[in-house]
Amino acid sequence: MTIYLKLAWRSIWRNKRRTLITISALVFAVIVSVLMQSLNRGSHELIIENMTHLQTGFVQIQDYRFQDEPSLDNSFFFDESLEKEWLAIDDRIQWVLPRIETFMLAAIDGSTRGALVFGVEVEKEQNFNQLKDRLAEGEFFRKDEYAVVISTGFSERTNLGVGDTLALIGQGRFAMSASGLFTVRGIIDHPLPDMNSQTIYMPLPVAQELLSADQMVSSVLIGLETDRHTQSVADALKNGISDEELAVFTWPELIPELLELLEFDLVGAYLMSYILYIVIAFGFFGTILTMTLERIKEFGILISVGMGRGRLAITLFLEVLVISILGVLVGAAGAWLLLYYFYLNPIELTGQLAETVIDMGWEPVLPMSFAPDQFYSQGIIVFFIAMVISIYPIYKIFSLDVIKASRV
Amino acid sequence: MAVIRTEKLCKVYNPDTIPVHALRDVSIEIQKGEFTSLVGPSGSGKTTLLNMLGALDMPSSGKSWIGDVEVTSLTDKERINFRLHNIGFVFQHYNLIPVFTAKENVSFIMLLQGVDPKTISERADELLEQVGLGDRKDSRPSQLSGGQQQRVAVARALASEPQFILADEPTANLDTKAAMNLLDLMQKMNEEQKVTFVFSTHDQRVISRARRVITLVDGALYSDKEQEPKIVLEPK
Repeated sequence: MTIYLKLAWRSIWRNKRRTLITISALVFAVIVSVLMQSLNRGSHELIIENMTHLQTGFVQIQDYRFQDEPSLDNSFFFDESLEKEWLAIDDRIQWVLPRIETFMLAAIDGSTRGALVFGVEVEKEQNFNQLKDRLAEGEFFRKDEYAVVISTGFSERTNLGVGDTLALIGQGRFAMSASGLFTVRGIIDHPLPDMNSQTIYMPLPVAQELLSADQMVSSVLIGLETDRHTQSVADALKNGISDEELAVFTWPELIPELLELLEFDLVGAYLMSYILYIVIAFGFFGTILTMTLERIKEFGILISVGMGRGRLAITLFLEVLVISILGVLVGAAGAWLLLYYFYLNPIELTGQLAETVIDMGWEPVLPMSFAPDQFYSQGIIVFFIAMVISIYPIYKIFSLDVIKASRV
Repeated sequence: MAVIRTEKLCKVYNPDTIPVHALRDVSIEIQKGEFTSLVGPSGSGKTTLLNMLGALDMPSSGKSWIGDVEVTSLTDKERINFRLHNIGFVFQHYNLIPVFTAKENVSFIMLLQGVDPKTISERADELLEQVGLGDRKDSRPSQLSGGQQQRVAVARALASEPQFILADEPTANLDTKAAMNLLDLMQKMNEEQKVTFVFSTHDQRVISRARRVITLVDGALYSDKEQEPKIVLEPK
């Protein structure tokens, strides 16, 4: 094999300029393609990260009726013993976060606004999603205080600030009346724009009392170290939870529309990458075509003196492969450096573009994904292109008329 | 036993349209140690016959043997492998691998044969010494003169320890001095090592060195004579 590799390597560098141009084209393709994909996936990962940490959890346990009818009537009993029981089901479960949530009317001065009220255990939320760190103003409430933390968007909509009083009116469990006055202790910047405009957090026991749902929760979020374990932990919980009225959902099951939207968004990026690769593939093919045709006589001679067609085809395949590998490696290294920079310093959008992005429900930043599979997926694509392109020289070798070739 | 034997070799190009008879019933035998020239005017079938003898081309009819192997019955793959182990080639345009050094060009055939690296290195050095290029073994073809390249080609042809060497117009691109040196070299190898050479040529310098001259005219065997080799210099 060494001799074929040596022959391939030296043949590649017969025309240095041409080879360098071809490799540069591949490098360019890999960098642009990785960047495009990284931009898309980066924003998607951020959305999913925020969704799983602040809204759905990786896995969520609900009353089986809650998904179709999200009412407090479909909440379920939850206490510390249940928490311990669930934590024991799988040691990959790191956090168990009980929540009670409902829509209420917030009355401020002479007007009312709809609000999404969450009763939460702040310390547990902090461990899982660093909720406290998102405070823009003020502080978080104590465990049993009649106080709330509102989101910045809601604050802007209602002109409420820290220290103001907020009246909440709504319906509790089994149509019980629910109302109360709460002091605004803090304002948080919620990263999910939809939620930022309407969210109110309050202590879980206070929310349970307000909603006549003592020790009841509407959902329990399961926090994991990584999304990789989502499905297997969900399966373990399904098997481990004895209460038949409880259902276990993974986050993709809870937000399928979002996933479809994200996948649809990726199609554009993939399409651009494919177009780019088609252009590059033709350029690459041009080089290989020239490299093959200008050496037809040489191939004829090599076969004449006894080099098997298979061996010669291996050599030519190695030439294509080496050019591809060089292009991919240099391209991947370049892309890695660029991504690393942008990963640490995400590009922030400003002006109208930022507003448009916010309107679409996304954060106005261009975060880059640093997922390793982006690099090797590009490698696989270029390798596939090389495979397809190498068909030509291989075909040429196997169909070569030695006599005619030697006369060229 | 003859090194090469052909029996009524015929080659017809374009048999279905305008048939061109390149070879007509050519039957010859070449014994080990011969120094033979295939001569004839352009279009007489020299190269076609040489291609048949080298198992590069297949006849339209007739048979040929190299040693005791009927090469006309071999498949393309078998013929390639057969050539690797049994036939040495020297081409008009040298046709060395441009990206390899002289030593690598000579070693390449042995590598294809699967000879062990130590033997390859020793034999390549020895062959390059024999052709007078022991001090140029690390030069690439582009760094060698035409005559030197053709010497490397001879060393390459000898590397596989073939039954015979086919040389197609080996001196056509060489000046007189280089051509004479090459012919001296080949003659010496023929006389001392009993290497069998078959040339296709119309170069008088080569023809005069041959001990046997086979003449083809219009694809048919015209004459087959033995002669006393002599050195013919280029007219001034």
